[in-house]
Amino acid sequence: MSPRANGPRSDLLDIVGLRGGYAAADEIVKGADLRVAPGEIVALIGPNGAGKSTLLKLVAGLLRPSGGSVRFKDREIAGLGAPTISRAGLSFVPQERNVFGTMSVAENLEMGGYLDGAHARQRMADLYERFPMLADKRRAAARTLSGGQRQILAMAIALMNAPDLLLLDEPTAGLSPRAAEELFGTILALNGTGVAILMVEQNALEALTVAGRAYVLVQGRPEHEGRAADLADDPTVRDLFLGGKAAPMLARSDGESSKREKGNNT
Amino acid sequence: MIDIVVQALVNGLVSGTLLAVPAIGFTAMFAVLRFPNFAVSGIATLGAFAGYLAYGAGLQMAGSLVVAFVVAGAAGLLFDEVAHLPMVKQGALPAAIASIASGLVLENLVRLGFGNDPRGYDRPIARDIRLGDIRVSPQQLETMGLALALMLAVFAILAFTRIGKAMRASADNPDLASLKGIRPERIAMIASFAGMGLVGVGGMLLGLDSAIDPLTGTRILLSIFAAAVLGGLGSVPGAVLGAFLIGMAEELSVLAVGSQYRAAVGFVAILAMLTLRPRGLLGERAY
Repeated sequence: MSPRANGPRSDLLDIVGLRGGYAAADEIVKGADLRVAPGEIVALIGPNGAGKSTLLKLVAGLLRPSGGSVRFKDREIAGLGAPTISRAGLSFVPQERNVFGTMSVAENLEMGGYLDGAHARQRMADLYERFPMLADKRRAAARTLSGGQRQILAMAIALMNAPDLLLLDEPTAGLSPRAAEELFGTILALNGTGVAILMVEQNALEALTVAGRAYVLVQGRPEHEGRAADLADDPTVRDLFLGGKAAPMLARSDGESSKREKGNNT
Repeated sequence: MIDIVVQALVNGLVSGTLLAVPAIGFTAMFAVLRFPNFAVSGIATLGAFAGYLAYGAGLQMAGSLVVAFVVAGAAGLLFDEVAHLPMVKQGALPAAIASIASGLVLENLVRLGFGNDPRGYDRPIARDIRLGDIRVSPQQLETMGLALALMLAVFAILAFTRIGKAMRASADNPDLASLKGIRPERIAMIASFAGMGLVGVGGMLLGLDSAIDPLTGTRILLSIFAAAVLGGLGSVPGAVLGAFLIGMAEELSVLAVGSQYRAAVGFVAILAMLTLRPRGLLGERAY
């Protein structure tokens, strides 16, 4: 049962039997096993309401798990609380409200480096170099950024404490196809610098092209796990989670938004 | 007639400056703690009396204000931790109601200690400064200057210091702030202490002009609340703007409808604002 058959051995993140939700009586994640190796990109896909975002929040410490274990860098972090977990080197980028809207771009980055003030200046300079848009807008209030710019800022905030693992919750939600494509490029480039990434994506096909491995979450449990390319070809997975008759979707690689595709299928 | 109106506006400017101090405290606490803390009535009274005792004991004005700040801040923190924050989990309303009770408790504690008689600060008498027919007392200028200095300090802290920025971040987006390692419970304690400290200083500043008694804070509660609502609950510059507007409107209302209706100004302002522009003049801009 344990999905350990393939993939790298030494794990950065190792989740076993994780359970939890917004209230004790209402478990959304029901015994999830999942792991991420150093430097890996892992996608977490699945239908709406499967508990993908909840799972990330449980791992990041925004929600308190009701059971199971989360080991990060060989240390149990389940239930430690968001500040401690982020100090350990795990940065979570929420889907919504992922920047400080009333604060300037520069202040947003400063808050990203709140825990590690000694390196903040250098890291800000590095991020400005990598994302010149942020340098141009450093004095602008974050709420004035476009959707794509805001996602970049959200990731940059997360990078300010030099994490080993980034958790991204639907980074491309609400973005135009072009902005989404650019963002996937950015994610790949970040990964190239050695940061492992666990991302939830509604845009399942795109996610599977970017990720090395993927899990398909159904009703709070990972039902399929494997190499992303294999999952994309698996007819059961396609049928169940990529919106049924997937052939035309698979053929289309123009980054059409998943919402649109779903609309076409219903 | 023009003279009288201008004099009323000048008076309004002075009282608005003083009102801005507790209004900043109130709105900053709302921004972080997410409930309207009506215990400001009792805390303002407590601050006024603490400052009164310190001044009577021979401290200078600035020193007395520090005493008012610390005493009021400590009491505010205590009541928040014991009585209000446990209720916030049930929602803002239970916490707000609990804070009304706290205000009554504080008011009566002060009554127990000092009785109902009004007391005045013994300040040296000085001749009014006159500009044409407009009069301002040097004491008014002094308290106004202290209030302005305090406001500038608050803005500077929020804009430039690490803890000030962390407070704004926590008010803006508590979840993201905690993800970045900003501990929400610590920010909440700072907000309780500093917010109520400002309220205590405000009680003292407003009491300096007249006399103080156990109802000092209760009388200004509505003006503080109205100033904060007018500017947008949770917005510090909004509270300053709201305080000036309420201060001037109250003074002008005395001319228009008589002093017995002065208290109605706050009610009308709140009513109008909540009907026409519920987010306030400046929305929720944190600073």
